Amino acid sequence: MTLTATSFDWVRQLVHRESAIVLQPGKEYLVEARLLPMAQQRGLRGVSELVDSVRLRPDAATTRRIVEALTTNETSWFRDGDPFTALTGTVLPALAADRRADERLSVWSAACSSGQEPYTIAMLVSDALPDAARRISITATDLSRQMVERTRAGRFSQLEVNRGLPASMLVRHFTRTGSEWEISPALRRMVTATECNLAAPLPRMGPFDVVYLRNVLIYFDLATKQAILRRVRELMRPDGWLFLGAAETTLGVDDDWERVALGRGSAYRPRKGN
Amino acid sequence: MTAAAVQEPITGLLDAATVLAVADDVWTSLVGDGEVLVPLPLPAPAETVSAWVQITGPWCGAVVVSCAEATAEALTGCLLRARPPAVLEPEDVEDALGELANVLGGNVKAVLPGPSALGLPQAGPNPPAARPGDLCRVDAQWRGQFLTITVQGATGAPHAERTR
Amino acid sequence: MRALVIDDSRAMRRIVGGILADLGYEVRPAGHGREALDVLEEGSRTGWLPDLACVDWNMPVMDGLQFVSAVRSNPAYRSMSLMMVTTESETGQIVRALAAGAHEYVIKPFTPDAMRDKLALLGLLPQAVAR
Repeated sequence: MTLTATSFDWVRQLVHRESAIVLQPGKEYLVEARLLPMAQQRGLRGVSELVDSVRLRPDAATTRRIVEALTTNETSWFRDGDPFTALTGTVLPALAADRRADERLSVWSAACSSGQEPYTIAMLVSDALPDAARRISITATDLSRQMVERTRAGRFSQLEVNRGLPASMLVRHFTRTGSEWEISPALRRMVTATECNLAAPLPRMGPFDVVYLRNVLIYFDLATKQAILRRVRELMRPDGWLFLGAAETTLGVDDDWERVALGRGSAYRPRKGN
Repeated sequence: MTAAAVQEPITGLLDAATVLAVADDVWTSLVGDGEVLVPLPLPAPAETVSAWVQITGPWCGAVVVSCAEATAEALTGCLLRARPPAVLEPEDVEDALGELANVLGGNVKAVLPGPSALGLPQAGPNPPAARPGDLCRVDAQWRGQFLTITVQGATGAPHAERTR
Repeated sequence: MRALVIDDSRAMRRIVGGILADLGYEVRPAGHGREALDVLEEGSRTGWLPDLACVDWNMPVMDGLQFVSAVRSNPAYRSMSLMMVTTESETGQIVRALAAGAHEYVIKPFTPDAMRDKLALLGLLPQAVAR
């Protein structure tokens, strides 16, 4: 171990402050294992030296990388399946019927994490539509630069592809590279990933036909939730569809949305006349 | 010599970082959430136990896990977590260490040129010898205890001629 | 719900069996494919047929691939879902298992969450647990 008790404590407080995740005492080895490569990359002997150097010269980029290295969590493919079943079952057919055949449909995965959600969408639409690559474009955004880079790379660990990705889709859409799995180039080309902070004014994007904004609102207070929903609505087509997380709703937050039951779940559409 | 008659040294096919990446996945998921192998060497204990699996294909060799007996027992306890048997028998420890070698071996095999076959895990104090110099080893520690993972060419495998 | 857990490692039988038992499954273990077929034959007589079989690939006596083929060729076992749980992880191996009739494939190592995700795909996650 190269990690001192003081350094561990500093890391613990940092991670708690930035991510609300609590590193219990006893997780020293986890901190050591996750941060040692970062320390060695910088030519430092150990993790405590890394901590010392950041404390001496605070640097937002390194601080963020430390937090990210300790808070990565696996996301499932097809997480809460309903919003995906609804996409190919209801939403895309409805949109396609209202659009010209040469019009592109635009989907936004607004908190894409390491890419499972945008690539789940890409796999589904490419299985459902013969000319998916021409008809659909997928924009993936995340607050974290590291997550955006991971989404762009389209590479996933063994543990990540084990999480809810049907085996038939794994062998059809991925190839093994070393200890990881890489999404097919055709699907990767359908996804454009960029950094985006939903809690700040949004860059010029869209207009989107479908938006996945799942498990994001839960982290914000009411005023920020309202601001995010308003900004998202401004980037959507009037007949677009919004999917929220299973525990989230616009009800009681923003009245400019209409809730539509879809299968066992629901979607939200901009209310007409706004 | 013909290409089929020679075997490339393991270091040309695999690096320690890949073995560690595989081990990382195994530790987090099988040994326990938050459990990690730290790639810092420790002096070897006087006696170690090992478990290994053979890989047979374009590349022939073995994946060997070695640690102290007490470490193997602790690993077994972690693997079985909430479901330990009433009494931990030596067979349980051999079996658990063997399963670790099996899971590491299968994932290492997937990185090597194939198709190849994975043998059934074996355990004991004396793992098979490596072809001299033909090994890729991760010297690591788990909870501050010595543990190594070695991917090694089989002694019977023919050497690749060193060109130049 | 009933499950048959087939693996030559007793640790792995406990791990997989434990995850399933926590979900409310009634679990029976088998150490290899032949032993598992015996459990099924006996079960056809006594009325104990599983909804799910989790099966390792590399085992003595009869391996998982042979077991999957044997089960799929017997119409009496048609309603049983077959999930490979193995460290074999090359694309070609997964394709072989699916072609032989496996319904899903979990690569070792896996977390309990990964197992639950795959059961959900098969519609075999008890409703009380499914979100």
